[in-house]
Amino acid sequence: MPDGDTKRVPTYCYQCVAGPDLLTVKVVDGVATEVEPNFCAAEIHPGGGKVCVKAYGLVQKTYNPNRVLTPMKRTNPKKGRDEDPGFVPISWDEALGLVAERLTAVRAAGVTDESGYPRVAASFGGAGTPQSYMGTFPAFLAAWGPIDMGFGSGQGVKCYHSEHLYGEFWHRAFTVSPDTPLCDYLISCGANVEASGGVVGVWRHANARIRGMKRVQVEPHLSVTGACSAEWVPIKPKTDAAFLYALVHVLLHEVPRARLDVAFLSRHTASPYLVGPNGYYLRDRTTKKPLVWDTRRGAAVAHDTPDIDEALEGRFDADAIEIGADEEVLAEGTLAGETAFSKLVAHMTPYPPEWAQRVCDVKAETMRRIANEFIDHAKVGETIEIDGVTLPYRPVAVSLGKTVNNGWGGFECVWARTMLAALVGGLEVPGGTLGTTVRLNRPVSARIDSVSAGPDGFMAYPLNPTDKAHWSPNPNIRNAYRTMIPLAANGPWSQALGPTHFSWMFLEETPKGLPRVTLPDVWFVYRTNPAISFWDTARLATTMARFPFTVAFAYTHDETNHFADLLLPEATDLESLQLIRIGGSKFVEQFWDVHGFALRQPVVATQGEARDFTTIATELAARTGLLEKYNASINKGAAGLPLKGAHGDFSLTTTERHAPEVIWDAVCRAASVDVSDGKEEHGLDWWKEHGLATKPFSRVGWYLFPELVKQGLRFELPYQERLWRVGVELGRRLHEHDMHWWDTQLHEYQSLPVWKDFGAPWTAAVVKAGGEPADYPFWLLTARSMQYAWGANVGMQLIKEVADNIAGHRGVIMNPQAAAKLGIADGAHVEIATPQRSVYGRAVLRQGIRPDTLLLLGQFDHWATPFTKDFGMPSMNSLATMSLDLTDATGSGADVVRVKIAPATAAKPGAAK
Amino acid sequence: MTYPDKGYGPSGPAPWQQTSWDWRAAGNFIGGGVGSGLVVFAAVSGAHGAALAVPMLLGLALVGLGLFCVSLELGRPLRALRVLRNPRTSWMAREAWTSALLFPVGLAAAAGVPACAEIAGALALVFVYCQARLLQAAKGIPAWREPLLVPLAVVTGLAEGAGLFIVVALLYGGATPLLLIAFGALLIARVLLWLAYRRRLAGKTAAGASAALDRAGVVLQVAGTAVPLVLAAIAGFVAGGAVLPLVVAAGLLAAFAGAYVKFTLITRAGFNQGFALAHAPVRGRALQTKGT
Amino acid sequence: MTRWAMVADLRRCVGCQTCTAACRHANATPPGVQWRRVLDIEDGEYPDVTRAFVPVGCQHCEDPPCMDVCPTTATKKRADGIVTIEYDLCIGCAYCAVACPYQARYKTTRPAFAYDTAMANETKRRDDSRRAVATKCTFCVDRIDAGLAKGLKPGIDHEATPACVNACITQTLQFGDLDDPQSNVSQLIAQNEHFRMHEELGTGPGFYYLWDRKESTAP
Repeated sequence: MPDGDTKRVPTYCYQCVAGPDLLTVKVVDGVATEVEPNFCAAEIHPGGGKVCVKAYGLVQKTYNPNRVLTPMKRTNPKKGRDEDPGFVPISWDEALGLVAERLTAVRAAGVTDESGYPRVAASFGGAGTPQSYMGTFPAFLAAWGPIDMGFGSGQGVKCYHSEHLYGEFWHRAFTVSPDTPLCDYLISCGANVEASGGVVGVWRHANARIRGMKRVQVEPHLSVTGACSAEWVPIKPKTDAAFLYALVHVLLHEVPRARLDVAFLSRHTASPYLVGPNGYYLRDRTTKKPLVWDTRRGAAVAHDTPDIDEALEGRFDADAIEIGADEEVLAEGTLAGETAFSKLVAHMTPYPPEWAQRVCDVKAETMRRIANEFIDHAKVGETIEIDGVTLPYRPVAVSLGKTVNNGWGGFECVWARTMLAALVGGLEVPGGTLGTTVRLNRPVSARIDSVSAGPDGFMAYPLNPTDKAHWSPNPNIRNAYRTMIPLAANGPWSQALGPTHFSWMFLEETPKGLPRVTLPDVWFVYRTNPAISFWDTARLATTMARFPFTVAFAYTHDETNHFADLLLPEATDLESLQLIRIGGSKFVEQFWDVHGFALRQPVVATQGEARDFTTIATELAARTGLLEKYNASINKGAAGLPLKGAHGDFSLTTTERHAPEVIWDAVCRAASVDVSDGKEEHGLDWWKEHGLATKPFSRVGWYLFPELVKQGLRFELPYQERLWRVGVELGRRLHEHDMHWWDTQLHEYQSLPVWKDFGAPWTAAVVKAGGEPADYPFWLLTARSMQYAWGANVGMQLIKEVADNIAGHRGVIMNPQAAAKLGIADGAHVEIATPQRSVYGRAVLRQGIRPDTLLLLGQFDHWATPFTKDFGMPSMNSLATMSLDLTDATGSGADVVRVKIAPATAAKPGAAK
Repeated sequence: MTYPDKGYGPSGPAPWQQTSWDWRAAGNFIGGGVGSGLVVFAAVSGAHGAALAVPMLLGLALVGLGLFCVSLELGRPLRALRVLRNPRTSWMAREAWTSALLFPVGLAAAAGVPACAEIAGALALVFVYCQARLLQAAKGIPAWREPLLVPLAVVTGLAEGAGLFIVVALLYGGATPLLLIAFGALLIARVLLWLAYRRRLAGKTAAGASAALDRAGVVLQVAGTAVPLVLAAIAGFVAGGAVLPLVVAAGLLAAFAGAYVKFTLITRAGFNQGFALAHAPVRGRALQTKGT
Repeated sequence: MTRWAMVADLRRCVGCQTCTAACRHANATPPGVQWRRVLDIEDGEYPDVTRAFVPVGCQHCEDPPCMDVCPTTATKKRADGIVTIEYDLCIGCAYCAVACPYQARYKTTRPAFAYDTAMANETKRRDDSRRAVATKCTFCVDRIDAGLAKGLKPGIDHEATPACVNACITQTLQFGDLDDPQSNVSQLIAQNEHFRMHEELGTGPGFYYLWDRKESTAP
């Protein structure tokens, strides 16, 4: 084969949250032909510099004949699934003119509407990954002002939601990971790391397996992660909390206390804090600091008194004050206190393995053995040296997956998981359970730096206010996260971490007390397809059709931009320019020994008239009179880092339109002086050649524990006094405004969470829909597909082809014994139904699934996306409903539906009824 | 390209029906078997003149038809002659060489050239043997690679040829009792070999392959063996006007049943090896534990 | 002497298909033609089930049945164990495909593209010499030969290593010289329990599957 003019161009892939992967693209005579690992990155990349399968779809992504390659305008004013949008090509000038015209009108009318909601909304997909492709668009958004980013496409409710919120609250753990390189024993409740952990996760776990790490996969079906585990425990869906409670019970009630990490619990958690008769901490009457019992002095003292020996267990009387919600003094004087740990021990008494066996259909002896294996592997008391620092060494961890760590029961699972880690001192120490990144605390680029002292000896946390003076019934955006979800905080990520289904639901009917939810005047959509990826997709599509002006940055025609008024083709992954941060510790298992920056660059010429996102952003800013603010925003850091720093000033002039090359050249220079501490300044050309630059990042930065010790802070465990108080306050505020529709959710605010039947709401949903629970005996679950997860790559033929090699990409996975009872053969056409809706597809019979469970991989059921619409692959999203009943206190739901299945009698496979 | 209904690429891991060879390849084994069987019988019958030429030419035509069928399966038919390059190890090359000799010799025999009939018969025997070995060398297909397939394929070729020969022989004085006995003996040998072959295959082929072979086996045993035997017996022992149709029926049934078995073998029972693991991987184990 | 061989550590493989995709890229095979792919194999009955991901492809056998049956000598085995196909000799009879017990061989009669029309990359890499003839994994023989010519070591230096091995994100696939006792593959085979696919057929595959560590090497 003639090789012609061949070069290899370095770039990155951040199609999924577990990126970035560093790759090179082989270009022959100007045509991209092959993706390969960037072998130069092998030394610094924690996954050996390898590249995920999704990146191999990028060549097809570039040349896909189904691409939208010119701006297009809708000509059919009627919007609907069955309406042909009548898109016709227009010039960029006309397209941008149309957007600018709308935006200018919005600015004239005021950026917020009569309900106080932003008139402009924007939805981006995949857990922040679009930000690695949208160039300087964030600078435009920042320049604009209030924007509603709470119209979700799944984020906020289909994510690791309880883990995100409580994880970040307890240990700065927006995402939680085992310290895989050192961990010896991992209990994985539904965490599908082999599908969702990216190259680094998969690489690290493969090494850990060979080293001997035992992973126990607790999951209703035998996922790829279960397959690669030492043991599979087929648990009944939505009962993981009972399983985890039983493990906590064994550690507290069956394992000798001395085998737990008593020192860690006493010194580094709130276990010794004295809890008063009303359930709030006993506090020093003057300083209001929580009290502990000092066994040396034989007296109650403030928790941060030097030179004390805290009693872990017991009841002690103390001269104290007990303060409840809204600063209310509940008791004062000599008060009876009990340590939080003793409260915990008593609280967990009713949850032995024999109890859990009845709930989760796992043998008591299995749970007891796992709990004992966990403690046996914990190496309590041992230490390890990391980069010259001696740290505790606890090579045991617990990870949780989707539907375990979100929706009802998610809080309890995350709490029990974090407690399991704390009981053996395995929280945020080498080998143990770690947070990877922060998204609600700042700075998001440096997790450890986000630690600061808060109240009561704990880390600070930016809870949304619940006190009378600051709580407001008038939310800033439609999903009302600031009003309803204190834990969601109020940072750049918070809007997407609210109850993002509320934006859609409340458009139909706004619940009492909130300003009427309105349609946004302008809606921007990029790298997201909520009409496929959210729940109740048919209803969502109908709602979307009502939006007056939707601007979709479009790759191909799809189910969401089917309702758009304007399609704008952006230069895709291999065609455009951007610099991003890499390394340090980031999502999932991304723990690096370096940190720095990587460049994405045009590998080949842009196809058609697609334009670099930065060009589009600059044009929009200029045409809406926001150019100065836009450039200023870039200077401030909207393109990844501030352009002015200790080592130089590369700021852009704010009055001019700058070409993408000029903007990114400045960002590159700022990045290179940052990464070299001022020693080297490189422009865009250098970065285009080298692709990346990094500097060392100490592994000590993987662990939060040393920073807490340094700042004298404790983990806010086991007792949740603060959250309970917040819950009580939130309840009062809502009731003061006659808002009672959140009362069920308020019950989630507990000091020590009580187990409940967390599957019950889904059964109740069947009844509410007019069905008989017995008629819908199956739990329909979903699982990530490594080949597709987050990738927005369903239209790639190569991805479909290789994904088909893994079971479940061609139909619904079902247990053969269960199928036989219903007369369903392998490959048979089946109908999966709720009382309201049906989907159709093929049965894939596999032994690795519980007889009461069905599994639909990924999110399909496309009807507009070229190529994909022919898959005949149904989706859970077409069946799942959005409802308050299925929404937990963090504003999240879970991917679970009660269904029935039968041989299909009619209808087209894959089509929703 | 729209997304193919059954997904992309090959299947697995369970064995699946091979898709490399279809009816065109089956046609070669059918035509080649029955044709060379016919040539053999023409040769050994001691016939002369038209009684030799007709079955000889018919046999060659059937062999040729089979080869034509398989040529349709070639990806690069213009390179077909390269099939002759590797007689050192390939039974397909040997089959091709044999056929290259069989046709001129067979034609010479049909033209009455002395001694050619015997040579043609021997070559036909070699040809059918090559075909049998060719199929048996396909190591990827359990139902084909069974060594008993070789005698079975040879004998069924002869039996089919005998079947056609007794029909053709009716034109030239009818089947002799000796011929009918030979025919009957071949049917019995064929069915015995079939049963032995099936027994040897037990547990070695995919369920789909076994089911297809079982169906073919019924056809072979009833329509291909029992019925023709009875008909031939009646024809042999009972004189009268009914003999002719009886012999025709017996001969054709025997031939068609053999063809059906071969068609099934290639297109229905050609399940491949699939994949199997001798050991399941051990993915991490608990380290030494102090506790329970 | 040299005997190139592949090792697949089944304990590591997660079925991600990165090798499959990388092979499709490196060798520009048409849709559906996967010289390297990874199977998803389930065994047992609920709840005692195991599931394994198994990379397969041409096993580059010691005694390749595909070579013996080939009527044209298009299929050959090199001295270093790599089984090759000379496309210009092949008549596309597919005999080798049914002779291979590993379902490693493909024949595509018509040009095939990912979508309705050929994309720029497909046009650029179109190779009609591979149409209607047998094709299969070559162990990326061109990379090996070019790498060796540059003094590189296959299996160690990426330029001289099969694309699937370079791409593998779990280090499941390793490539090297079996005749060199110090090579990565020799060491892995020595230290771990292993088997070869369909060993009973006597083909002598050059593809080893690791499934456990040897007791003697346990920590």
